[in-house]
Amino acid sequence: MSDFLLELGKNPTARKMIKNLGLPVPVPQSLKRPRGPRSARPLHDQAVAFGSFGSSTLTKALAGILPRAGADIAVVGDVEPFVAPGEAYGRPPLALDLDDLPERYRAHGLVFDASACRTPEDLRAVYDFFHPLMRRIAPCGRAIVVGTDPSSLCDPEAASTQTALEGFTRSLAKELGKRGSTAQLLYAGPDAADRLEGPLRFFLSYRSAFVSGQPVWVSELVKDGAPDPGEGPLDGKVALVTGAARGIGEATAEILANEGAKVVCLDRPQDDALCSQVARRIGGSVLLADVSNPEAPEKIAAALADEHGGVDIVVHNAGITRDKTLAKMKPELWDLALNINLGAIQRITRKLIDDDVLHDEGRLVLLSSVAGIAGNLGQTNYAASKSGVVGYVRALAPTLAERGITVNAIAPGFIETRLTAAIPVMIREGGRRLSNLGQGGQPSDVGEAIAFLSLPGAVGITGGVLRVCGGALIGA
Amino acid sequence: MADKKNRAVIVDGIRTPFVKAFAQYMKMDTIALGNVAVKALIARTELAKKDIDGIVWGGVILPSAAPNVAREIALDLRLGAHVQGFTVTRACASGLQAVTSAVSAIERGEADVMIAGGSDSTSSAEIKLPQKVVHALAPLAFGKATPKDMLGVLSQLMPITEILPKMPKIAERTTGEVMGESAERMAERNEVSREAQDEFAARSHHRAAAGIRNGVIREELAPVQTPDGKTVTTDTLVRGDTSVEKLAKLRPVFSKRGTLTAGNSSPLTDGASAVLVMREDKARALGYTPKAAFRSWSYVGVDPADQLLMGPALAMPQALDRAGMTLGDAGIVDMHEAFAAQVLSVLRMLSSDAFCKTRLGKDKAVGDVDPERLNLYGGSVALGHPFGATGARIVTTVANELVRGDKETGLIGICAAGGLGAGAVLERV
Repeated sequence: MSDFLLELGKNPTARKMIKNLGLPVPVPQSLKRPRGPRSARPLHDQAVAFGSFGSSTLTKALAGILPRAGADIAVVGDVEPFVAPGEAYGRPPLALDLDDLPERYRAHGLVFDASACRTPEDLRAVYDFFHPLMRRIAPCGRAIVVGTDPSSLCDPEAASTQTALEGFTRSLAKELGKRGSTAQLLYAGPDAADRLEGPLRFFLSYRSAFVSGQPVWVSELVKDGAPDPGEGPLDGKVALVTGAARGIGEATAEILANEGAKVVCLDRPQDDALCSQVARRIGGSVLLADVSNPEAPEKIAAALADEHGGVDIVVHNAGITRDKTLAKMKPELWDLALNINLGAIQRITRKLIDDDVLHDEGRLVLLSSVAGIAGNLGQTNYAASKSGVVGYVRALAPTLAERGITVNAIAPGFIETRLTAAIPVMIREGGRRLSNLGQGGQPSDVGEAIAFLSLPGAVGITGGVLRVCGGALIGA
Repeated sequence: MADKKNRAVIVDGIRTPFVKAFAQYMKMDTIALGNVAVKALIARTELAKKDIDGIVWGGVILPSAAPNVAREIALDLRLGAHVQGFTVTRACASGLQAVTSAVSAIERGEADVMIAGGSDSTSSAEIKLPQKVVHALAPLAFGKATPKDMLGVLSQLMPITEILPKMPKIAERTTGEVMGESAERMAERNEVSREAQDEFAARSHHRAAAGIRNGVIREELAPVQTPDGKTVTTDTLVRGDTSVEKLAKLRPVFSKRGTLTAGNSSPLTDGASAVLVMREDKARALGYTPKAAFRSWSYVGVDPADQLLMGPALAMPQALDRAGMTLGDAGIVDMHEAFAAQVLSVLRMLSSDAFCKTRLGKDKAVGDVDPERLNLYGGSVALGHPFGATGARIVTTVANELVRGDKETGLIGICAAGGLGAGAVLERV
């Protein structure tokens, strides 16, 4: 599906002309996206500016994470923690003076450690860091605020101060979105400093192209497993992707396969041809089953256990929409949406857990939707099923933490797929433009987010919802 | 490691003088240069042709018509049909690879006497026609072409810029980066200053000049008769009269605000070197006094997009570990100087606690390399660097110095294109 404004914006002459004529046409920035599978240094030679407030317990971990990822670091304030790791990775830190920035300095990423902020006055440090650097962020740049999980703070004033970061980050994301840049907030729980590595690598790289303005909670809850090797993180893992014949499922299957996973592509028997094509292209296998069928869980569990010796990653992507206002909705449509989008997920997941088909250190990723978070006209059935997914993830996560398994939901916003191409043009334009980034996302953007939550390095994130919506206004 | 009787030993080594590319050796290709070195080695050691089992040769720019240089040398010198040969290539570590391959073959029992070495003639780098031209011309080369075919070929060859032969350059295939640019980034990353590089380069020249003056280097050289009837008896790139001040005047070559100059980088060079490797008991039986033997070696690879030439910082400690010794035990250290910046970067890594802890899993730094033990007779910056010849040159120099200086062990480090690195420990026999 081509986006006319995006195509226009890619033409430098047209872009300049619109600007010079003062036309009120907002041309969105074409987003930079990753090429190829994950590398050992996702931030290779990217300039990242780092700042922190007070004596943060996280800074030491961050000082290791950033040079390891290949970033060229410029530090505002105390350079000391960055010197030794910089030396180890041949990335000596540069001291950055915010009052006297080098003329040509452009940062790809800004990282501010605000985890030690405890009073509203402390938050001034956040302003002091970001304000002078706002015009120094490269297109499709990344801003990350690191905070302390407010629920881990007993002091109400401190918890309130940390929660304030959420409003700040969401607004920052809106301000940066015009140039394709994003901002996220990482809340670190106690002792979760080292688990920030996976999330930072994802959110600072181009893999998070369509994730904007999101708070992410990183915790110690889930038992630690094998470390993330950086390259080929899913080597030897078996992944099940439902609805893999097209769209988001297809993109996800491809990305997981590129990271080394053996992907089992599941779709309905009537999509045999498409599904087989995908499987052949990525070197995976096909499993034909209708997830809404009561016998499906048994069949899927048996196939995974017999042919692959179990499964490590399960992506519940299969879903349908049957839109009608509640007044006009037939009961069959209601049942169908809830059965496929929620019932099937619960039944299959339960079966995989009960039969021990899901391995320890596994990853469950369930597809929700921004409609499930915010509601949508004519989608009572769909939204109910999708918010049910959010609740399922939240409740299921603690029960699997001891086994090292994480459970998360992904909530896509406006993604350019067959589904959204069918929306009437005016509503479609609204859906596209009313977001921080002013454009729709690609299926691969959702696939990248799903792949991220499937990594060993995402062990800190569980029970949450990650929205891949470009910072959509609806569903906020 | 093989037991004492069966281990391979270095009996002697020799090389041609190293000269600048497109100068005296311009009309000699890599095989011709190899012939000179091997012939001189055989003459000096008075080795009987019948005793030679084979030749291993290292090279980087291999002649495409006869890439197995080793066998060509054996045939050219009429060493006898029985002298088999194979050619190895591992970028700038090709020469060392040839020597360690010979050692492996002997210690495995495949051979008793091997000649190992390497040569390169950067003057003879072949300029290839672009593949597009080759493919387009294929219909004309096979079968009779009609005028229509001719026109078809012409139309395929547009635009003209795509069919012009490309200038050969030392660039990474994967990253497209010229090696000097990679070294430039290493200098920046490891905070190696222009002054430090120039100082290192000046020392390399001064030591090489001293080596030539006091005869140490002459001992390793075999004179070369060029096809023009001239004789080359000494290295031509060494500038004993250079100084830090003179080097400071040179302009950076790889980046406008860079620190690498023609003076502190190794130049394009033509030359060859060879060493004689034998099983120890065989050497003794033939009446030779062996000089040295390999205690260990190590080859490593790093990501070419990272610090391309940092390989020795990983390979040298690994070789030391395998030899069961520490850096302090090495009586001499000989490192290939691709760029002064590269050697200084590697030295910095070896002496960094942070680097050695994180990247090598050690408790503390490997240690500082004493400048008084490092590259005693200069290195590639001063002498030049015919890619395939550098390995055997270093082995020869270290073996000779172990005997001359009565030292126990010597450590070798070589960086190579593709993110490769090599390290080796030689011990006195």
